[in-house]
Amino acid sequence: MKPGGTAHILLLLTPGIGLILVFIGSVVYIAVAQSFGLYNLRGDSGFSWDFWIEGVDRRSYGRAVRYSLYVGVVSAILSVALAYPLALWLRKPFRGSLTVSAVLKAPLLVHGIVAAFLFLNVISYHGILNQVMVWTGLFDEPRRLQNDRNAIGLLFLQVWKNMPFALLLLTGAVQAISDDVLNAAQDLGAGAWARFRRVIAPLTVSAMQAALIIVFIGALADFTFQTTIGPTNERSLAQYMTFMKDRGRWNDAAVVGVTLMALSFVGAILLAALSRLLFRGRLR
Amino acid sequence: MIGVSADRLAMRFDGVAAVEDVSFDVAPGEFVTLLGPSGCGKTTLLKMISGFLAPTHGTIRLGGKDVTDVPPEARDTALCFQSYALFPHLSVRENLEFGLRQRRVPGPERRARVDAVAATLELDPQMDKLPNQLSGGQQQRVSLGRALVMRPGVILFDEPLSNLDARLRDQVRIQIRQVQRDFGLTAIYVTHDQTEALALSDRVLVMNAGRVEQVDTPEALYHRPRTGFVADFIGGANILSGRLQGQAGPGLWRIDTPIGPLTAAAETAPTGPDIALCWRPETAELAEDGIAAQVLHRAFQGHFTDLSVSTNGIIYRIQAPRTDAREGDRVHFRIAPDHIILLEHAA
Repeated sequence: MKPGGTAHILLLLTPGIGLILVFIGSVVYIAVAQSFGLYNLRGDSGFSWDFWIEGVDRRSYGRAVRYSLYVGVVSAILSVALAYPLALWLRKPFRGSLTVSAVLKAPLLVHGIVAAFLFLNVISYHGILNQVMVWTGLFDEPRRLQNDRNAIGLLFLQVWKNMPFALLLLTGAVQAISDDVLNAAQDLGAGAWARFRRVIAPLTVSAMQAALIIVFIGALADFTFQTTIGPTNERSLAQYMTFMKDRGRWNDAAVVGVTLMALSFVGAILLAALSRLLFRGRLR
Repeated sequence: MIGVSADRLAMRFDGVAAVEDVSFDVAPGEFVTLLGPSGCGKTTLLKMISGFLAPTHGTIRLGGKDVTDVPPEARDTALCFQSYALFPHLSVRENLEFGLRQRRVPGPERRARVDAVAATLELDPQMDKLPNQLSGGQQQRVSLGRALVMRPGVILFDEPLSNLDARLRDQVRIQIRQVQRDFGLTAIYVTHDQTEALALSDRVLVMNAGRVEQVDTPEALYHRPRTGFVADFIGGANILSGRLQGQAGPGLWRIDTPIGPLTAAAETAPTGPDIALCWRPETAELAEDGIAAQVLHRAFQGHFTDLSVSTNGIIYRIQAPRTDAREGDRVHFRIAPDHIILLEHAA
């Protein structure tokens, strides 16, 4: 490369990467600074550990962290677990496979808030689901299904919304595995599960990691679904952060925000490392 | 070591026959090649034997046991793929161990079997490498080794040499035959390369359009082809139609052909007056008299000269060990009756 070449390349990259770095950097900087008492919008600013010490000590903080991690991890794993068999099913084209594929990806076109309201209508006290259950005799009378304590409805919606995205990532990866490789595994005695565990999963682990990470981060920071159909006895971290902000406690909200970012980062790395370790037997 | 038996096998895809009414037997320890042009059904037949395709009709027996409905993972066969089909995320050792792990072979035995095969195939220095770090020949050896460690009753080869260059192909071909003999394996080998088939096999099963044209030893296929297709596909032949004129002596038959009268030797009389016959280009002998032909094209090939000639508008080939004939020259040649083969039917 000619002298000045690196500078030239950096200059060309600046409008794209530079903008991203500035935006991410400024958001992270402000959030971290606010969590330490700086940039206080409702009072005196000054560096302090107090917001972290008091914030982490709150029972509601611990519950929000645990709940958000539960939603994030379970949504990611379920979405990927459901996407795999579908990706394998759609691996070879068949009559109608294009339509099936399009229908499966339809949730990607539905906005989260719209999906939440649609789902709410389905599971509401006088909704279709209750009507069907009563009609079939499985329920004696309509039941309250929305805002359930174990967040089953929320997880269902998270998976409904995120699975197509995981499917999109996994379909390409699964299709890239040659028939011969899968046939060779079968010929050497591998049944369906062994073929998945020892060939398909290791060869698609990069797509699996991408799907896990993206679904996890989205579900971890969920606000829309939680406030619409989530359990009323639990608060997600995003909900908790908004709760603090609405009360003018910007520094406390920043503590939750930084926690959310840190959990996203650490969780994503852990999920990626675990999936690779599990299916490749090594991290490289 | 077990035998293979196929009885009236047929395979149809969307109503189109890929394999039709194919029956054959492979004896334990025998090396049989399925030979034919692209699309003749040989790979489909191999996939039915390995269990990847369920035949529309017919039965397959391995060691006398009906395995027609047995899935590939439960059959006593191992397949070497044309594309090698190595697991790209596993090292050579892990590739070789794959099948043994599936069968839960204990660790010490697994290592011993893998090490023995690796030593035979000279793969020891490559054991920790990934497939993408190996050459084509090495990948083919790993593919072969992966099948051999399973100690299968029958080993199946699906055009395993087609991705190798000519020199490497010869080396691996010799190695495959050596290993098959050393391990006493029953082998079924698919190829469209007649040289490969003739060099490797105890017997060759020639296929055309989903049917078996002839099953015989390489020598018999070359010297006594039964059909025009076999005659032409194995080594190339000049095929003519003719009309029986009568007997020219004991076991000799005089036939009128478009290039002139020919005499063929045959133990049994032809079944009808219309005859299909062939002869190999190298069996024609240039002479002072005999059938006259004009040289259209001359190609010097080292130990022989390939002449493309024409008689009465019929174009055919003659391979002469030594000749000065040039394009446009007129030559005469003879063919000994023993070298004229009467065919059951032309192509």
